[in-house]
Amino acid sequence: MVQFLFLVIAALGLLTALGTVLARNLVHAALFLVAFFFTVACQFVLLEAEFLAALQVLVYIGAVAIILMFGIMLTRNIQGDDTTIVAAAWKIPALVAGLCVFGILVFGINNAVAPAGHSPWSELNVRPSIAADAGSSKATAVRREAVNNMARTVGNELMTRYVVGFEVAGLLLTVALVGAIALAHREEAEPAAPSRGEQPARLTSASPQPQAAGPSLVSSGASSPR
Amino acid sequence: MASDIPLNWFLYFAAASFSIGLVGVLVRRNAIAVLMAIEIMLNAANVNLVAFWRYYGNPPPGAGPLPGVILALFVITVAAAEVAVGIGMILLCYRRWHAADVDRYDSMSG
Repeated sequence: MVQFLFLVIAALGLLTALGTVLARNLVHAALFLVAFFFTVACQFVLLEAEFLAALQVLVYIGAVAIILMFGIMLTRNIQGDDTTIVAAAWKIPALVAGLCVFGILVFGINNAVAPAGHSPWSELNVRPSIAADAGSSKATAVRREAVNNMARTVGNELMTRYVVGFEVAGLLLTVALVGAIALAHREEAEPAAPSRGEQPARLTSASPQPQAAGPSLVSSGASSPR
Repeated sequence: MASDIPLNWFLYFAAASFSIGLVGVLVRRNAIAVLMAIEIMLNAANVNLVAFWRYYGNPPPGAGPLPGVILALFVITVAAAEVAVGIGMILLCYRRWHAADVDRYDSMSG
C-alpha cells in the first residue's frame, strides 16, 4: 500500500518536473513547479519528516513560487513567444547530458559500496523506527508524540548543536534581503517607492514598506517597452 | 507504519528529478525558467538528504537526532535567499536589455 502510494507520488512528481521544464507558457511552468514542490512535500511525509514537509509547503509554495510568479509577471514573458521556446541547437546535447547524469547516478546507486556495518543501499528496504518501541501496541501513541515533538526537536537542535549554522543562515537571509532590495531599487524612480521588498518567508516582519510595492510594480511594467 | 519502501526508490526519484532539472537548466533560455529548474535540482538533493537520514538508523554520536533534516532545512534557507537575489538580478537585467533570456546577456562576449 505504501509502495503504491510512493509510486503514484513519484510518477506525479516526475511528470510535473517534466512539465516545468517543457512548458512553453511560463505561468504554466510555475504552476507545474508548485505541484512538484507539493509532491516533494508528500515524499517528506512518506519519509516521516512531517515538519520538513510543512516547511516545504510554507517556504517553497508560499514564498519561492510567489517570488517566481512576480518575476514572470514583471518581465512580461508570460506568453510563449520565441524567447521561451527551447533552443533547438541545444536540445540534443542537453538531453544527452541529462541522460548521462541519470545513468551515472543509477549506476552509483546500484553499485554503491556500503560503509562498515551497513547493508548496501540497494538492499536497504526496512527503515528503523523513529518510535522507541515500535512493536508494542502503544507504538502509535509514541509515533504521534514523535510527530508532535519534531518541531521542538528541530528548534532545540538549531539553538544548541547547530547554532553557528543557524546564525550564518540568518546572516545570509539578511544579506539576501538587503541585496535584493538594493538590486531592484531604481535610482531615478519616485523616491517614496522602493521597488520590491522580496524576502524569504521568515523575514516578513522586517519588510520595510510592503504597501509601497504596488505602484512600483505598475511603473516598472509600463515603462519598459518590449 | 509499515515501512517497506526500499531506499532505492527515493534515490531513483531524486536522481530522475535532478536529471530533469539539469536538462531544464541547459535547455531553457528564459532566466526565470532556468531558476525554476535549479529549484527542482535543489529539491531532489533535499529528498536524498532526508531519505539517507531516515534509513541510516541511529545517527552517529555527536550528530543529534535529526542531522539530515537540519541539513535539508539549511538547503531550503539558501534556496530561498538564492531565489530572492536571483529574481532581483533578472529584473535588473530585464530593465537594461529588455529581455529575460540568458543568451541575450552577451555584453562581455568577445
